[in-house]
Amino acid sequence: MYHKVTGRKPYGLKDQELKICKVLFFSHNYATMKGRDFHNKTEGSRHPEQEKDRNCSMQNSDNMANSDQLIEVQKKRIAELEQETAALKEALLAAEEANKAKSRFLSNMSHDIRTPMNAIMGMTSIGLSHIDEKARVHDCLGKIQTAATHLMSLVNDVLDMSRIDSDRLTLNEEPFSLADLIHDISVIVRPQAAQKRQELKIEIGRIEEEELMGDPLHLRQILVNIIGNAVKYTQEDGEIEVRFAQRYVTAKLPEADGAEGMMADAEAAETLPAGKVWLDFTCKDNGMGMSQEFLQKIFVPFERVHSEATSKIEGTGLGMSIVKNLVERMEGQILVESEEGVGSCFTVQIPMMTALQETASLHLPEGASVLIAENRKERAGQMARYLREAGLVPVKQEKGAQAVTWLTQAQYEGHMPCAMLLGEELSDMQVLSLASHVRQLAGKEFPILLVSEADWVQLEYRATRAGINGFVPCPLFKSRLLGTLAELLGGMGADDDAVQRELDYSGYRILLVEDIELNQEIAVELLSVTGVQVEVADDGAQAVEKFRNSPEGYYDLIFMDIHMPVMDGYEATRRIRGMDRPDAASVWIVAMTADAFVEDVRQAKESGMNEHISKPVEPGRLQEILYRQFSG
Amino acid sequence: MLQSAAGTEGEKREGMQPYQEEYIANLRKIAALAARKKTEGHSVESYQEALTGNRLQIAQKVARNMELLREGLFPLLDHLLEAGEEELQELQEFAGILFRVGEELDVGLFCQIHQALLNRARLKKDRNGMIRELYWLGIGRNNRCSKLIGLEYAVIENYTFEMRLCFTEAGAYLKYFDEIEDSETRGYILRARANTALGQYASASEKIQRVRQTLQILQDRYYQEKEPNLPWERYIFMTHRQMASSISYSRENVMTAQDVEAVMESVYIVYQTHMQEAVERGEHPPIHSAFNYYAISYYCGLDTFDGLLNKTEHLMDSTELSDFSAENMYGIISLPAFYLQYLKQFPERISGRTAYIENLYRRILDYVEVFPDAPENEMLFLYLRQLANNYIETADSIPYGAFLLKLLMRFAPDIYIQSYIVARASAVLCEILMTEEPGFFDDIEEIRRIEDLQEKRHEARKFAMACGLLHDAGKINFIYLYARTGRQWFEEEYEMSRLHTIVGESCLKECASTSRYAAAALGHHSWYDGSRGYPASYERLACRERQMVDVISLIDWLENVTDAQCLFTGVRMTFDAAVKRAVSLEGRRFSPLLTARLRDGQIVAQLKKAFAEGRKEACRQLYEEDGLTDYI
Repeated sequence: MYHKVTGRKPYGLKDQELKICKVLFFSHNYATMKGRDFHNKTEGSRHPEQEKDRNCSMQNSDNMANSDQLIEVQKKRIAELEQETAALKEALLAAEEANKAKSRFLSNMSHDIRTPMNAIMGMTSIGLSHIDEKARVHDCLGKIQTAATHLMSLVNDVLDMSRIDSDRLTLNEEPFSLADLIHDISVIVRPQAAQKRQELKIEIGRIEEEELMGDPLHLRQILVNIIGNAVKYTQEDGEIEVRFAQRYVTAKLPEADGAEGMMADAEAAETLPAGKVWLDFTCKDNGMGMSQEFLQKIFVPFERVHSEATSKIEGTGLGMSIVKNLVERMEGQILVESEEGVGSCFTVQIPMMTALQETASLHLPEGASVLIAENRKERAGQMARYLREAGLVPVKQEKGAQAVTWLTQAQYEGHMPCAMLLGEELSDMQVLSLASHVRQLAGKEFPILLVSEADWVQLEYRATRAGINGFVPCPLFKSRLLGTLAELLGGMGADDDAVQRELDYSGYRILLVEDIELNQEIAVELLSVTGVQVEVADDGAQAVEKFRNSPEGYYDLIFMDIHMPVMDGYEATRRIRGMDRPDAASVWIVAMTADAFVEDVRQAKESGMNEHISKPVEPGRLQEILYRQFSG
Repeated sequence: MLQSAAGTEGEKREGMQPYQEEYIANLRKIAALAARKKTEGHSVESYQEALTGNRLQIAQKVARNMELLREGLFPLLDHLLEAGEEELQELQEFAGILFRVGEELDVGLFCQIHQALLNRARLKKDRNGMIRELYWLGIGRNNRCSKLIGLEYAVIENYTFEMRLCFTEAGAYLKYFDEIEDSETRGYILRARANTALGQYASASEKIQRVRQTLQILQDRYYQEKEPNLPWERYIFMTHRQMASSISYSRENVMTAQDVEAVMESVYIVYQTHMQEAVERGEHPPIHSAFNYYAISYYCGLDTFDGLLNKTEHLMDSTELSDFSAENMYGIISLPAFYLQYLKQFPERISGRTAYIENLYRRILDYVEVFPDAPENEMLFLYLRQLANNYIETADSIPYGAFLLKLLMRFAPDIYIQSYIVARASAVLCEILMTEEPGFFDDIEEIRRIEDLQEKRHEARKFAMACGLLHDAGKINFIYLYARTGRQWFEEEYEMSRLHTIVGESCLKECASTSRYAAAALGHHSWYDGSRGYPASYERLACRERQMVDVISLIDWLENVTDAQCLFTGVRMTFDAAVKRAVSLEGRRFSPLLTARLRDGQIVAQLKKAFAEGRKEACRQLYEEDGLTDYI
């Protein structure tokens, strides 16, 4: 059974006490002085008010001895004094608690700062003593970088808390894309989870509005902090499930100690005014969880779980306090449920303003089929649903071999799908192996989109080499999927000029150096479908002349055959590179030949060519080079 | 398995271009020159002279082959789209001889040619051509997969997928069997469909189900009546053989009852057919199918484990050392591999059979020593790889490392010579390092714990010798690349050759006596700073033998660029130029602690001498057939 605490209730300390704590933390002189004065007054000399009361009581006793009235007055006074004493005791306790928290904070901070500083200093001296061993110095610098990054986040947390405390934090109101935000979060937290071999699932529920208004930076801070904590406090190989959804109807979070879990209160259910939507976020892990006792203090600054298991986990104890403050400032709510040894679940609800949707008209070929190659049923189902909603016909295959069989038969029967969506995994092979074969099977024009949680930057080189020409990041959003598909199908509306420009190479000029007429024809045909302007030279000497007589920067790319009459490709390249003009060194030259030995590749490079492709030329490879040179 | 390489089923055509014939003749000559010469009637000196002469001749043949390809083949591939029927037929014929049943002259070039022909067929939308070329390309790629036996699936899966997708695409045309009227193409479709079961699968059931489906197709009267001219009986029998070979999964206990039933049926069919043929020819029952029969009987509980072992021993004992037929070769080399694999499952049975195992190894070495150099050697190499993967060391057996060296001496004497040179020069460098810095190798526990300096130096030297001798043990899987290639490598071969590091590590770590040297096999092509080189699985800083790996890496590089690999990569330097280059790569490619020593002229002279003496000594050992087993 989870223990719960909500962000709306006081949490352990009263507001006034918390304020004292905060003041103590950030105005240490004040805190120190107050603590000392208070202490002195309660334990040392008598207070002037007390003195006055004492005198007054003595006079009255002379006049009203033994009277009931006197007794009543005294009783009342005693009661008042008792109340005051109790209040003072309480305040003393609070101040002492605050003082302890401050001491803990200082102790933690000095430990937390010292730990990375020790690493920085230690690694620096190890690096210096092995300065000739590049690998070891590299390793040391990597560790220094990690420690410095941690130190920076520590300082940032403290500064953030200080800003919140002094009411200097203001929230921005700007349009942002929820898809972008979630993708950014995913990019940040996935490597951390991967390092601990944790399974991090980020799922998208019903999304009503993708374009929102708000403060994306602080929203990201809230979400990254919560997921980051889940990663930190969950063991290796653990599981973390993150879910995003939206709704128009209000759902109340339960009070602390209230009913189990989050629930929609039917009576309280009300629809938000137009232009607003609730963003629901949950993060559930099967990590170490928290005790009920700690749960009461989770939002208190500088409080951290103390156990053997957490002793090596870095943190200031400020993160959750910052999160709670930010959520409240966004008029949202936060609920934490947790059980020691079982795990924790954080739920955040924030009302968001919706931004005006950009209504780019996506021209997708209605009724056309799209092949989905994905083993994960849920993901494949999500892709299929989005495609159907856009009027397309999804065809799902779980295995690479099935996908190839289906495509081969579709090609033979003349009903090729308009694209293939390649998912995260297949049950029989790696997705890139399938992409590579489909690129050859289906030709250079066929759109192959990778729909993946992977970081595209890491994957781009291998993926484009395998023939993938579009990437849709996950968590999967309908707008992303259909937008990218429309881009690749060339069906975007007139308002998407940017995309058109990217795919249109009509602004580029290529010099094709090839002696065989048929090869010239084929290459020109393959190249010209992209709009690129192609000029042809029949041999190396002609190519050199054409380049010499062209204005600077005229040619963007040269495809150079090797074996040609009059002058071969090597010599022509050497002569072009040897010209005294800036673009002679920079123009990209690609060897196009059947000579495929390692030595040939090297010889091509030595003569000044930048890369090498084999003949007969695969259309996909040509496309890849154009994409890399002109769009990549 | 329906693997049939070119030159079968009547598609052999007469006529090749003179350059093609010369190329093939050169390949055969190179294979003969690369094998170790008999030493009877020669002195050491004349033997060494003969080896040097052979190397020179090989270099000349390789250079000539390159010329032939540049002048004959590559221009043809350049103009492949306009090539005439006759040229295409000659090209097919040429490719067919490069790789056919039992003879692998140049599988790399075979794949290049068929890839080019496939691209041509795709561009020309020639359906039958596509099916044919997909089939042959799949066959070529399957051969590449067979060199990777014993490696983890994750390392080789991409090669498997590439092969399988070729067959999958060609097999997908089965749906149009009616429409395709060409018998040959129909044959390709059926064989491709059957070959989709080749290679490793994630599960035994998946593979067995695939073969079962093929059997259903082949036994379907519908297809047989459509194309009565095809050799259906042969197809069906070969598919039963493919199913019977799935018996290997039984040793992993991963088959379902349905799988066992399917395999059992095929095993019986194959066994009975072979028995009948043997009786008709008056011969012994064939060893291969007899073993499968015994194995499935044991698996189904019809025989005991000891019964299976005894029958296997009986089969092995029935082989003849003077019989070089495929069946006998299987009985002498491959069957012991399965026998040892069974024993590894029940190690308690080993102690009673140590003398038998020791004798098995002696017989195998005696057999390979007299095995004639013939094109059929490829099957022998496959069996030897199987054996190496299952080797069991006993107290008196030939040590595993020595066994590997014997194989290198026998089939790849050049690799042995290079390994010996690296061992010798590494030992010299270690001696120098230990004299200057006795704790240089103290990361290696076995060396650190020795207190006596002289003994410590001796141990380091011995360790260096063993690492040097075995660092290229993985090349045993790629003898066709290193010892028999008649031209420079293509890029994909260069990629493939890199796997020798992983194969070497995997080979050496299996046995206690060689596991110490596995790091040298894995890491000797990795860059010191980790920025480049291969494989990615070598982590220098995590490797306790890294200082020794650095030594082997440097010396091996010097050997490669001054001699060993120049034939295949085209890079050749003088010793002094190589040393200069190594120093220039200080801290990046090589450890600065080692390159610092290369600035000392005296040390360079000592190394140069070790290189020269190492070559002489290695030749002497080959002459005397005496490997340096003391170090292993």
